[in-house]
Amino acid sequence: MEKYVVAGVEVNKVSLKDIVLNNTMYIAYILLFIAFCGILDVIYERYFLISATAFDAGIAPASREVAEAMKEAVFGNGGEVKREAPWSLYIVNYMYMIYVGSGIVFLVALAEIADIELIKKTASGFLTIGLSMVIAGLFTILMDLNVLNIHWMLFSPQFTSGMWLMMPLYMIYIPLVMFEIYLILSHKDSWVKKIAVLILILSLIVEFVEFYVQAKLFEMNSARHLWTTYPFLPLYFMISSFAASLAIMILYTFSVHRSYKLMFILERATLYFVIALGAYEATAYLFIDKKWAEIILFGDFKYYFYLYLVMAVAIPFSLLFKHYLNISLRVIAAISIVIGTYIGKTIFLYGGNAYPLSNRFGVGFEKYGDYEQVKEVIFFMPSLGEIAVVVGSLGVIIFIYKIVDSFFSVSLMREH
Amino acid sequence: MNFAMALDYQSCIDCKACEVACKEENGVQLGADKQRIWVTQIEKSIFGQPFVSLHPSQCNHCLDAPCVDVCPTGASYFALGGIVMTDKDTCILCKGCMEACPYDARFVDDTHVAVDKCTFCYDTRIVKGEMTTACQATCPTKVRLFGDIDDEESDLVKLLNSRKFYVLKEDEGTVPKLFYLLPEHDDYYAMNSVSPDTNIYTWQEFKPIIEKAKVKREKQWKSM
Repeated sequence: MEKYVVAGVEVNKVSLKDIVLNNTMYIAYILLFIAFCGILDVIYERYFLISATAFDAGIAPASREVAEAMKEAVFGNGGEVKREAPWSLYIVNYMYMIYVGSGIVFLVALAEIADIELIKKTASGFLTIGLSMVIAGLFTILMDLNVLNIHWMLFSPQFTSGMWLMMPLYMIYIPLVMFEIYLILSHKDSWVKKIAVLILILSLIVEFVEFYVQAKLFEMNSARHLWTTYPFLPLYFMISSFAASLAIMILYTFSVHRSYKLMFILERATLYFVIALGAYEATAYLFIDKKWAEIILFGDFKYYFYLYLVMAVAIPFSLLFKHYLNISLRVIAAISIVIGTYIGKTIFLYGGNAYPLSNRFGVGFEKYGDYEQVKEVIFFMPSLGEIAVVVGSLGVIIFIYKIVDSFFSVSLMREH
Repeated sequence: MNFAMALDYQSCIDCKACEVACKEENGVQLGADKQRIWVTQIEKSIFGQPFVSLHPSQCNHCLDAPCVDVCPTGASYFALGGIVMTDKDTCILCKGCMEACPYDARFVDDTHVAVDKCTFCYDTRIVKGEMTTACQATCPTKVRLFGDIDDEESDLVKLLNSRKFYVLKEDEGTVPKLFYLLPEHDDYYAMNSVSPDTNIYTWQEFKPIIEKAKVKREKQWKSM
């Protein structure tokens, strides 16, 4: 392919038609269209769904609109955000994409420093995938927030808030990873390693701060007692994310490079993290309140929990422990980890809705009305718009990756 | 000034006048799940004798409020008198405060696309010099008493000096300012109606906890 050089980087001379009209991009367009429909639905539900206050009812008692709003208040589904589950699928997807994406970046930076040659050769592709996932995570969270007020993150910064802190961190992190990709593509090998150290440190900061912020928030919520009594919550985030990061890297290698040796390296690393995840889960429930352990192991929660364990730990462990030569078994193991850890993140979040919150007087808000059937887990089905945004976030990953690959051929193995 | 509220919950008859008054006074969004204050019914039994406890509650206006700490834009903040407020214009709906609140006192106001909660009627009454909240004013059995706990001569402090009380979820360390008065006249019932691990306080015992938390947080209090 004809190329021209810009700032030391070889750029493919591709036509606009070749970039935007190909099978990969068609998949991306379909997913982005789904996301677009989801965004429209979310905007409608958030900003245009009819609602009324007591003032409205007093000022315009004969208004048809107010009557409709009052009807919605009584018979409607209670608005976009459920009080019992303020965080839902958006946050699951955000956590997954950010953790797994930054996990890939971290592992690649580590491999650069450790001089693992095969990873170094494929680093630009892995980093692009990792970065695309981080951006897809941010896309998801942006849809969850009230974007009309988002500028207050800049105009009214709260430096002590962990959530605010994530903004400047990403503002440094994302350009730095982009710079690393640039250095790889421009063959500035000595700088690649130096920046890799920086990225490694920044990845650790991002991961620790992100994990700490999330863990602290979950810890504050006594309803999430289920997951917080165990003292190493950030450790859980890290182990499960690295397992998923490596699984994504296996799938990427399978789709792009088909390198047996690279698959082997990734497979061994994945196995260690799968074992660590299994060890964590095998001991974690011993340290939590027995009521909550009962919910996890024997209550309404058990099916979700066992499904997570089977898919994220048992299946990959059995497929990866013995070194089979069959590549498709590794791919199955990787898919199983990706799905399993996603279920893990989902139940982690919805675990906050696990009960009993309280069975005694004098401790706080009780969830159930007198005639409601007491359930151990409250699960709110996400809205269609929310599901569409989450599905569409895959389109963001594919779109970004494909555009970058079209220009810079990041999927190629390159010599340093 | 340090505003707080005592609740003589044993007098509650679950008429829900307080919930209605709150909505009317503050223009709260209509809907069963959109409550700044609420009354919970808890059915229990003591040695086979059933009883129902009516348990009015709302934002505890914690002195060491976690919801204020987690807010990335300062939309959750302390107003003068240690009242925890939300600024709907700067709320980005991250819902971190809803996660952080141990009392589940917050909800999303769909009319403003922002988080809402009890304000002790700060913007509708207190800044105008009134010293009652709508829920207190409307209660037919006088369950609630709002006041300034810095003023030793206030009715609230006098009441707290005369009655034992407890606070909700004390182990969260948030130093809440809703004081639940232990039922009078029947110590046996009173002690059995609360959990054995709930700490019962006199005002002299709780005051140092309040003062310590106030010193830590008072510099964050700001006027509207």
